[in-house]
Amino acid sequence: MALNLTINANNPPLGALLAAEHVKSSVQVSVEEGKDNRLHISDSIQFSDANSISRYLARVAPALGLYGSNLMEQTEVDHWLEFSARRLCDQPSLTAVLGELDKALSLRTFLVGHAITLADLSVWAALKDHSDWLSQGKSFPHVSRWFSFLTSQVPFSSVGNKYASKKA
Amino acid sequence: MGGASTFQPITLVSDWRSSPSVTNMALRELASLEKYLGLRKPNKYSTQGDKKTPVLQNNAAPPLLGLVTIACHLVKEAKRPELLGDSAESRAVVQQWLEYRVTKVDNCSKEDIKIILKDLNLYLHDRVFLAGNRFTVADVLMYYGLHPLIVDLTVQEKEQFTNVSRWFDHIQHHPGVRHHLPPVAVLRNRIYTSRHH
Repeated sequence: MALNLTINANNPPLGALLAAEHVKSSVQVSVEEGKDNRLHISDSIQFSDANSISRYLARVAPALGLYGSNLMEQTEVDHWLEFSARRLCDQPSLTAVLGELDKALSLRTFLVGHAITLADLSVWAALKDHSDWLSQGKSFPHVSRWFSFLTSQVPFSSVGNKYASKKA
Repeated sequence: MGGASTFQPITLVSDWRSSPSVTNMALRELASLEKYLGLRKPNKYSTQGDKKTPVLQNNAAPPLLGLVTIACHLVKEAKRPELLGDSAESRAVVQQWLEYRVTKVDNCSKEDIKIILKDLNLYLHDRVFLAGNRFTVADVLMYYGLHPLIVDLTVQEKEQFTNVSRWFDHIQHHPGVRHHLPPVAVLRNRIYTSRHH
């Protein structure tokens, strides 16, 4: 099965691109630039929302565990996907939300379970280019540690270098 | 399994410091490290002196002495040099923590435990692993060495040493590391939320 992901280069969906990068060893996903963000599955089925794209990609490659490893973890992943879409993306100020995230990460290396999941991809992507995060990151040590840990990993550094700068 | 079967069975006792099984700990650690590294052929070990320092009998070369020396040798034997650090700086940090493990953590007194945990908690504040963002053999040996200390902590103390608890829980879930040790329950959400650190 070959999937086709079209992205708008002026507003690339970093979370979806990260998911595509993570699953590329199990599923064939081609990425090309276009006028909007869209995952083409068939002529009748297409997804345009970044989280929907990530969810689909994680589900077609279940062995990678990007959607958690049990029902509880799946629900936690859903919680963080919602969290990033509603409370991080397109929000002018993050101060209160970052405090919440910092508390959640104090006893965790990854947001859900003991390995990387969509929760990490989606929240990392939402923070990556947010001006509030860039200016206030230092006040939230646990989020800072988690963020720079992920940034140092291969899919994050390559996606970050390739796409994030275009967003500005 | 291999080598583990030739060692004396260990009975778990609460006061590990005065227990004779401590001497076997080093040998069990080396057997677990061999398994983590995927070394097929278990090595032959013996102990030397009053402190029962582990000795690796090498067929061709002279024997190797001491936990850290043998551990570093096993890592090289498994062709996993990145576990000793992937830059000059991280190699130095790994050696520092290996030395810390055998000089400070092993046989520490009750008063020392709190100091060790406090210092480590501060150090791990902005780090995922002891050498930064990469897993190394320092994480493995510090995890083995700290296990008896962490087992005895109360829930409140585990939350007080937040960064140690987080690191410890991450390492004990790292695939293939926790061979001879029982899992320690670490809460993943804070209970004593009013406490500030």
